[in-house]
Amino acid sequence: MSKLKVAPGPAGKAEFETKLLRINVGPQHPSTHGVLRLVVDLDGEVIKRLSPQIGYLHTGFEKTMEHRTYQQGVTYSNRMDYLHGFAHDLAYVLAVEKLLGAQVPERAERIRVILTELNRIASHLMFFGTGILDMGALTPFFYTMRERERILDLFELVCGVRMNYGYFRVGGLAYDLPEEFIPATRALIAEFPAMLKQYEALFAKNDIFLSRTQGVGVISKETALAYSLTGSSLRASGVPLDHRQANPYSGYQDYDFAVPTATSGDVYARFMVRFKEMSESLKIVEQALDRLTPGPIQDPNRRISLPPRQELETSMEAVIFHFKLVTEGFHPPRGEVYVPTESARGELGYYLVSDGGSMPYRVKVRAPSLANLQALEPACLDGLFADMVMNIASLDPVLGDVDK
Amino acid sequence: MGLRELFEKDVQELENEGILFSTLRKLVSWGRSNSLWPATFGLACCAIEMMQSTNSRNDLARFGSEVFRASPRQADLMIVAGRLSKKMAPVMRRVYEQMPDPKWVISMGACASSGGMFNNYAIVQNVDSVVPVDIFVPGCPPRPEALVYAVMQLQKKVRGEVFDDKGLALPMVEGWKR
Amino acid sequence: MSAVALIQALGGKLTDQPQGYPAVALNPSQLPDAAKLAKEYGFVIMDVFGLDWLTYPGHRGKRFTVSYNLYHLETNSRLFLRVALDDGESVPSVTSVWPGANFLEREVYDMFGITFSGHPDLRKLLTPDELDGHPLRKDFPLGETPTLFNEGRFLDPAAFRAGLTGQDTGLTGFRGGARKGVKSGE
Repeated sequence: MSKLKVAPGPAGKAEFETKLLRINVGPQHPSTHGVLRLVVDLDGEVIKRLSPQIGYLHTGFEKTMEHRTYQQGVTYSNRMDYLHGFAHDLAYVLAVEKLLGAQVPERAERIRVILTELNRIASHLMFFGTGILDMGALTPFFYTMRERERILDLFELVCGVRMNYGYFRVGGLAYDLPEEFIPATRALIAEFPAMLKQYEALFAKNDIFLSRTQGVGVISKETALAYSLTGSSLRASGVPLDHRQANPYSGYQDYDFAVPTATSGDVYARFMVRFKEMSESLKIVEQALDRLTPGPIQDPNRRISLPPRQELETSMEAVIFHFKLVTEGFHPPRGEVYVPTESARGELGYYLVSDGGSMPYRVKVRAPSLANLQALEPACLDGLFADMVMNIASLDPVLGDVDK
Repeated sequence: MGLRELFEKDVQELENEGILFSTLRKLVSWGRSNSLWPATFGLACCAIEMMQSTNSRNDLARFGSEVFRASPRQADLMIVAGRLSKKMAPVMRRVYEQMPDPKWVISMGACASSGGMFNNYAIVQNVDSVVPVDIFVPGCPPRPEALVYAVMQLQKKVRGEVFDDKGLALPMVEGWKR
Repeated sequence: MSAVALIQALGGKLTDQPQGYPAVALNPSQLPDAAKLAKEYGFVIMDVFGLDWLTYPGHRGKRFTVSYNLYHLETNSRLFLRVALDDGESVPSVTSVWPGANFLEREVYDMFGITFSGHPDLRKLLTPDELDGHPLRKDFPLGETPTLFNEGRFLDPAAFRAGLTGQDTGLTGFRGGARKGVKSGE
C-alpha cells in the first residue's frame, strides 16, 4: 500500500491511497513455461508477494514407477523433464546399475555422454528460443529451433524418436549406433560455432535485451544457497557447483571442459552462463567422439541384459534368460541408493529403494526444477511485473519436472 | 457482360472468366478451415512438439494457423497437447467454454487421447470426457508432421469432405450445435 | 570434529543405507539441533522426502522415515539425516534453517500425510483439493480406471499387469495366462 501525492481533486484531498491487487497468472498462460499458476500481490506494477501454485501437471510418476519393472522405468523417467530426457534416463539407469553392481562397458558410457550432452545443447537452445520469445522477439526462436531440429535429427538416427527416447537400458544401451551418426555429428560440431556466433549477433548486444536482463531478478549467493537452487542459475550467482566435475559419473572425469560461472546473479548472467555451457557441451561431445572405440554396448551379465537375437536360435539358456528378463525382470538386492547427476536444470538424482522384487519399492526423484522454483519469490520481490516473466524464463523450470 | 450471358454460358466458361458458384455454407467453411487459430494449451511433452510444428521446418502457419492466440476468446481451435491431470481438468473446461463458437478440439498425443502410459489417480483417461474432441492424434509424442496431418484432416472435416467406410458423406461439423 | 561425529554426539546413530553415503538416524526431537549444526558446518539442503515401510518385507520399526539430503559445497560431500516416525506423529520443520525446505516438506505432507510443526504454510502442493488421502502411502491404491471410448469399449489395464504383480486382477479377472507374477520376498 502506498500513498501517492496528487493535485487536490474535487473532494479537496491531496493524497491517494492504494491497496494491494491480487491477480492470478495462469495456469493457462503463454509465458509461464507450462502449467504454472502464480498468485501475485501487486502494488501498482511492483510485486509485493508471489506464491506459486503448482500441481497442474502432477502425473503420479513415483507411484506409477512402483508398479513397473526396473527396465520399464526407463520409459517413465524421460517424460518428467521432457526437454532434457536423457539426463533423467541417465540418472535412473545409473542408480539401478549402482544397486545391481552392473558393469557398463566403456563404449556405452561414451555414447550415453554424447547423447546427454547433445540433449543439453538442445534444451539450452529451447531455453533461448522461448526466453527471448517471452521478451517479445520472435526471430531468435526460429533460429534456435533450426539448430534444435538438427540435433533432433541426430537423435532420430539413433533412437528412432525425436523426443521421449527409449534408448538407455540398465547395463548399457538397447542397440549400437548406426554408421551415419558419427559423420553427421561431426558435421554438426563443425558448423555449430558459426551458429552460436549468429545467435550472439542476434541478441547479445541488443539494447532491449540488455536493459531487460541486466540488473533484473538478482539472486544473491546466500539466497541461492538458502533456497536450494542448483544448476546454471546457481552458477550465475557465483557458486561453481557442477556435479559433472564435483561428483563425476559415467566417465566425465576423462573430459576436459570448463564450468562457466558469473557473479551478478541477474537474468543476464543466467542467460550468458547457459550460452557458454553450450560450447562446453560441444567440446565434451567432440572429445567423446574422438575416444569412441568399437566394443560391446551392454553388460555381458545375462541376468541383467537381454541376450543378442542370434543366440536365441541356438542356445536354450539364452531363451530362458530372455524369458525371465522380459516377463519378470531382474531382482536387485535389497538396499537404497542415490546417484547425483547434473541435468540442464540442476542437480538431478534418483533415490531408489529396492526390496528384492522385480519392481522398485520407492522411487524418489530429486527434481531440480521444484527447488529452483522456490527461488522465484526472492528474485521477483520488489521488481516489476513484466520482469517476473523474465525471471521465470531465466530460472528455466520444466513443469513436468516440478510436478512429477 | 449482361445477365443473359450469365445464364447462357457454361459453368466452365464462366469460371475461366472469373465467376465462381458456391453456396454460402461452403464458402464460409472454406474460410473457416483455412484460418484455424489455435489457442495455446500445451501441457507437457506434446507441447514441445506442437511448438516444433510451428518452426521453419514444419510450418503450421501455411495451413492458416498463423498465430497461436493466448487468449481463448480469439481462438477457434484448442489443441490439447499433453497429459491432462485431474487438477487441470476444470481449468481446461473453463478455457474451452471461453472460446467462441464454432470451435474444434484436437486431442494430441496418447496421454490426452486415452491416458497414455499413465493409468493412475492423477490423469484423466480420455480428454473427450471433459471437452468434445474432433480429431485424436496418436503418438508419444506425435511428430510435428502428424500434427500437421491432423490439422489437415480437421480442415476436411470443417469443409464437410469427410466420408465414412461405406462412402457416405458425413455432415459438415457445426461446432455451435454441440 | 566432523559433522557426522557432532550429529552422533547429539544422539544420532549411523545407519548403512543409502549405499556410499553417511546417514544418521535421529529422533524427531533431535532434528532441529542437528539441522542448525549442519547449517553452521555449511551444509545445504537438497531434498526432503518420505519413505513408507508398510509393505517392506522384514521391516521392524516405525512406519515412516523422513530423509533429509544435505550437501556440503566445499568438500563435495553428502549427508543423509533419517527421522523415523509412526502414523500421526509430526516432525519439526527445518524451514527456519533452510527456506528451501518449504516446498519439499509440503510435498512430503501431500504425499504421505506427515505433518511438519512450525511450517509456515502446510497445505497440499501437488494433488487436487478434491483428492482425499495421501497418494504415496502404500495403502493408497494406484487408481487404475478403464478408458472409456465413444463406442462403449474399454480397455482393462490391470489385466495386463496382473500377470506381473500377481495382485489386483482388475475388472475382468484375467491373469494373463501362465505369468503369475513375482511378489517381493518370495
